[in-house]
Parts: sequence; structure tokens; C-alpha cells
Amino acid sequence: MKLIEALRIVGEKQNSDLPALRVRLVCGFTPMHFQTFLQAKLRRSHPDQRVEITSGVYGDIWGTLGKLNAEDTEIAVVIMEWSDLDARLGLRGLGSWSPSVLPGILENVHARANEFRTSIERIAKSVPVAICFPTLALPPVAFVPGWQGSSFALEIRSTVASLSLDASRMRNVKVLDTQRLDMLSPLADRFDPKAEVFSGFPYKVTHASILADLLIRLTALPAPKKGLITDLDDTLWSGILGEVGLQGVTWDLEHNSHMHGAYQRLLHALSEAGVLIGIASKNDSELVTQALLRDDLILPGRSVFPVEASWGPKSEAVDRILKTWNISADAVVFVDDSPMELAEVEARHPGIETILFPKNDYQGLNDLLYRLRDLFGKASISEEDSLRRDSIRRAHQVDSQSSGKSLEAFLEQAAPEFNFDFSKHPADDRALELINKTNQFNLNGRRVSDAAWQNFLKQQDTFLLVTTYNDKYGPLGKIAVIAGRVRGKTIEIENWVMSCRAFSRRIEHRSIEELLRRFDADELILDFEATPKNGPLREFLADLMDSTPSSACTVGRDRILEYLSNRLPKVAEVAHG
Amino acid sequence: MADIRERLTDCFAAVFPDVSRQDIPKVDHYNLARWDSVASVTLFATIEEEFGLELDLEDLPALVSFEKILSYLSTKVAASS
Repeated sequence: MKLIEALRIVGEKQNSDLPALRVRLVCGFTPMHFQTFLQAKLRRSHPDQRVEITSGVYGDIWGTLGKLNAEDTEIAVVIMEWSDLDARLGLRGLGSWSPSVLPGILENVHARANEFRTSIERIAKSVPVAICFPTLALPPVAFVPGWQGSSFALEIRSTVASLSLDASRMRNVKVLDTQRLDMLSPLADRFDPKAEVFSGFPYKVTHASILADLLIRLTALPAPKKGLITDLDDTLWSGILGEVGLQGVTWDLEHNSHMHGAYQRLLHALSEAGVLIGIASKNDSELVTQALLRDDLILPGRSVFPVEASWGPKSEAVDRILKTWNISADAVVFVDDSPMELAEVEARHPGIETILFPKNDYQGLNDLLYRLRDLFGKASISEEDSLRRDSIRRAHQVDSQSSGKSLEAFLEQAAPEFNFDFSKHPADDRALELINKTNQFNLNGRRVSDAAWQNFLKQQDTFLLVTTYNDKYGPLGKIAVIAGRVRGKTIEIENWVMSCRAFSRRIEHRSIEELLRRFDADELILDFEATPKNGPLREFLADLMDSTPSSACTVGRDRILEYLSNRLPKVAEVAHG
Repeated sequence: MADIRERLTDCFAAVFPDVSRQDIPKVDHYNLARWDSVASVTLFATIEEEFGLELDLEDLPALVSFEKILSYLSTKVAASS
């Protein structure tokens, strides 16, 4: 984004009726163009909010940190530069660089680093924090030539690296990865000495823009993709299986096909982190089954489900995979070495992200690995991530076993176990994760920021119900969330989501029954809003209410109990966490 | 020249969104209260980015009106082409 464009966006009037997104920018320099970019990009990424950015006084990062509190801040964006640790580490300060003062500078750096650690720990208890540690080159303070590492510079960098590691382990704190910044904004092109001296703003405009962009991504991680569908021949491995046979396909250095091994390694890592991996291949099905049994595959066959190998169009194979996973195309990435196949799949599944496998292009492969990490990256891995693939595989088996039986009869023999947890744990990210990534069984599709969620949990009249499910086919983990407020005998439901893996188990029925029981409520008011994707929730509500749901729809206790009366199969166990 | 005028007007319009485009040519440091030192830095950075050039530090004090900046830019752009 160019500065002129950012200024135009910032110059547009904001709707004063929108809820405010109050961002505190903490830095020791004059924020100038950085603040302009931050404001412009936040307005683009949060169109439903009125962005308000406040910053502190020049040169006083410590004062700004000290005054920061949750009363007036939803997000804190903190940028530290070397001069914040000691003014002599900047061009603007004219303090001595004599060899005799270097130990004093180091002492100051250590003290300031400790002070910073304490401040961030305090702030992060109530406000989400995005931090960027020094982005500029250290000035030539030490007496060694610039190409030689001095113990002075190395000790300062080591102190900041250790501080950065500590911060990254704090809850509610996200640290900008300097390596990504290095890739996008070369170190030599970041510093603007003229602007630093005359206006106290140290960055070149391009660097300010890139930094703002990355920090915004850090404050609101994009929803990660959920599944990856890959082609086999000349993608997962080198060679055409039908031509070269089971032992002819390769993925190693010896056969000059190492890039396919590197791709498999990443897919395996993604799979272990909870990403669904499926295969869509134009191939002989039996041959593929045998090939996936090869024990030298880096992506083991057991990590993949389902495998769609046939001679039909790939778009139809993708169709079947999406149905099995029960997710929409826009949550999925499709990788193939044929531009024609990519186009065919994209035409039938708008929204799917298609990527051409860069056959024989190692730079392209390296870029692909980073791109896939970005698309599937998440802040943490939950227990549910490790359950997902197996529970889908089991659900598939369950579907085939349940045909012919009534759902109630089938569920009863499955020996379901429920755990209903009403405690409001800010440290458990699973509830918020479900709210922000569930599309189909979602009351209104609204996404909630970290800050808003924590604020919600703190309020006296709010409740949170997290349902965990298990049956003889295996655990599904924490699978459904209802959040809202209790006002006397009325329950107002603001968020209600359930993972698509939990469909057809009557978990939504059990959850609503539990809610009535817990609060002895007479009625529910549901903050419903139709979205292009929440058809399953809409259908459930229509059944429950026996009418088409509208916004703020109300349903009484008697109607709910009547509806549930013949829809609740016996359960093996109900626990309350 | 017309192109430079148009692009410079764009820069002024971005930095001073409250000033209408037809009034921009009449703007100077004295008749526009919002044109303070911070606005100057922002305006010059926008011009540098838009025209792909670096303004000389010693020239900045004289660049106090739209017309003066336009004339300065015309000379600079002609010299660099």
C-alpha cells in the first residue's frame, strides 16, 4: 500500500455508530506514517468497527507502557527499537560512544529488558499484545569493524532474543517473526536517517507499510484452512503410477525427485497438526491403495483420508471429499501439477484455493512450503486437532453401519458420553476457536476478537457452555459452544456453534436441554442471523420453533421440552466439568 | 506539466482531505492552519513516493505553497528525464 492510498483511507469519515476498536500504539518514536498505515490497514481489515488509534509521547515507550490498561484498549501494538533500550543506540541521541561507556550501555539494556518483560506480563493479563522487537540495524557503537561480531552487539541481540522468547511464551502475547520481516523488507532498506533526525520517525515509507501489515496479521490471525487435497502423480511423488508401477514412483535425491519428499514431509506435519489431507487422483484405485501402503512414504497412507482415485473428473472427486469432511470449498486448498485440473476444480468449486505444484522448480517448492504454512498456520495445537482426522474416518464407518437403523436406536448403541462445562476459562482457547471457524452450525456467523471474548467472559451476567462428546467410536473432544447472558428466567444466546463433525449425534439437543436445566429458564432468545453457510443451524431452529427463524427469535420452555421429548436417546454418561 | 499538477493535487488531497480539489492550488503554509510541521513531513513523504524522487533538505523551507512545490517539481522532473 502506498502512503497516498493510506492517507486517502484515513481521510474517509468513519461511521460513528460502529463499535470502536481501540488500539494503543506503543513506541518510542514519532509514529507518523506507521500510524497512518496501521490505521488504514485496520480500517480495511475491520470494516465493521470504528478504528481508534492512540499513541504515547515521543521517546517515552516506558511511560506509554505504564499507562496502558484494559479500560481504554482492545489491542496493544508494541514496537521496540534499540534506542528504547538506551538512547545512545539511536542516531538522534548524541550520548557518548566511547569504549569506556559500553559496559554502562549494556547494563542499561539489561535493566530495560527486565522492565519491559514485567510491563508486558502485566498488560497481557487484560489486553492482547502484538510485539515487534527491533527492526533496524544496530548503529556502529562498538569499536570493531562492522563485519566483525562484537561481544557488545552480540550481547545486546542475545538479551533481546531472550526477551522475545519469554514474551512469545506469555499468554495473550504474539511476537512478530523477524525472519518474515527480513524476507519482505531488506534490513538495508528500512532506516531513514534524515526522517529520524528531523522528525523522529526512523522508517522508510515502504518498511513502515510492511511492518504495519505484518503486525495487523499478528493481531488477528486469518482463519486457517482446514483441509488439503493433493494430486498423486508428479505431485505427491514423481512419476506416473500407472506407467512406472508401485516401485517406480519416487521422492528422493537418488532419483532427482527430492522435492516431492519435501512436499510429503510438510503434508505429514500438517496432518499431525490437525489438517485434513485427502487425495484426488486420476488413477487405478487398486494400484493407489497398494502404493499408499509403501512404508517408505514420508506422508504415511494412514495420514490421508479419504482417497479418491478414479478416472472421473477431479472436481467430482473433490465433491466427494468435501462431503466426507463436511466442510466448504473455501476452507480447502487443492494442489495439482496440471493447470487444467486446477481450472476444472476451481470452476466447480468457487472459493477453493488452487495451487500449481512447481514441478522441477526448487525455488517454487520453497515458496510453496512457506505458502502452505501460512495458509494452515495456527497459534496453537489443541487436543481436538489430533482427534479430527480419526473422528471423520470413524464417522464415515458409522454412517455405513447406521443405515437402516433409526438415529435414536443407533445413537443408543453408540453409548454416548457428554461433558457439559459451564466454567468460563479465559485460558482455554478452544471455545473461541470454534466460534471463529465454524460456518454451518453457527447462530449468526459473527466472529469475535480475542479482546472482545475476554471482555465477554469477565462480565457477571454471561455464561459459557462447552460440550465435550465421546462414544464407542471414539472421542470428538470439545465440539460445541453456547455463549450468552442470563437475565432472570430468560437466556439470551449470542453465540452457538457446533463442529460439523458432531452432526447427527443430537449434541445440539442435549446442549439445549442442559442449558434449560442449569438456569431453570422459561425461554431462550436466540440472536439468529442467516448467513450463506448456516443452513444446518437454520433447519434445526426451524424444527425446534416449528416456524422460520428470524432475528432475535424467542422459543419457550414448553415448546423446547415437547420438541426434545422423543429426540433424546439414552446416554451412557453425563458429566459436568 | 498538467500531469504533474494533477498528481501533486492528489498528494495534497490525501494529506488535506478537508480541502476541495479546486481550492488546492490556492493553498499555502500561511492560509491553511492544518499545514503544520507534521503535515509538511507527511506531504513531502507522499510527494517523494508519488514522484519517485528525494526532496533536497535545503529546498524544503522554501516549499510553502502548492504553486511553489509545483514549480519545484516541474524543474526536478525535467532535470531527471
